[in-house]
Amino acid sequence: MTVAFVFLAGMTLVSALGVVLSRSVVHSALFMSGSFLGIAGYFVMLNAPALAAFQVLIYVGAVTVVILFGIMFTQKPQVRRYRTIINRQFWAGFLVAAGVGAFLAYVLSAEDWGGTEAGNGPREVGAFGRDLLGVSQGAEIFTLLYEVASVLLLVAVVAAIVVSRRKIGGGVDRGVRE
Amino acid sequence: MPEIPTQVQQFLDALVSVPPLEGYLVVGAILFAIGTWGALIRRNAVVIFMCVELMINGVNLTLVAFADYLPNAGGLGVSYAVLVIAIAAAEIAVGLAIVLAVFRSRRTVNVDEVTSMRG
Repeated sequence: MTVAFVFLAGMTLVSALGVVLSRSVVHSALFMSGSFLGIAGYFVMLNAPALAAFQVLIYVGAVTVVILFGIMFTQKPQVRRYRTIINRQFWAGFLVAAGVGAFLAYVLSAEDWGGTEAGNGPREVGAFGRDLLGVSQGAEIFTLLYEVASVLLLVAVVAAIVVSRRKIGGGVDRGVRE
Repeated sequence: MPEIPTQVQQFLDALVSVPPLEGYLVVGAILFAIGTWGALIRRNAVVIFMCVELMINGVNLTLVAFADYLPNAGGLGVSYAVLVIAIAAAEIAVGLAIVLAVFRSRRTVNVDEVTSMRG
């Protein structure tokens, strides 16, 4: 388990640094999917295989494809110099981020979590589904949260269409009659 | 069967042992910090979105680690992580739509050049 843990930590964190520091935007997107795959591996280790499947489907699949579409629409995929992609706060931002990370890591590892034993996660997909739908004991709030999330997704789909729609007469329409 | 030295046996035991809760929490914190760094220093709006997604994944990892390790959590952190993934997907859809709208009107996605609301 520790071998897998160290391997996944290296994969996740090195890919995350690749997102921040790579000079090509497309490479950043691909590094991002590598980092998400590492997180999916962690979910498998943490007794949540269904969530790992969701992670691969939604993040590695859908979000990466959507971001690649955004890159395709907005810029040429070319390697740029660091001065053009990173603003002047390189080291100041590094100090702030290192401070945040060190503080969070210190607080989280200094806290006494009491009796921690691995293996409490909903390994069975059935139990996980009952939790998610609010059927099981103590998870009733998820009935409401599930409905709110579905309404939020509907609103987000409509909002994405409305925000990015080309206004009538506002641009060049090739072959489209209004 | 040959005798295995004690140190080697301990090393092998450490390799197959279950990592502690703090390991997952520290990895999540470092992932969050790397995302913060990228969101602070990059100029491209799409890359800033990617860094926000990294931060969300760090928090998700923390949630799922708590759900697996704390007995009283009842495994519900995994369900919360599903909700977080749904909300992040909604955020990325609306955010990229906004980036496309800004690009259509200004021909750039450089956040340093979109300053018309600066006070």
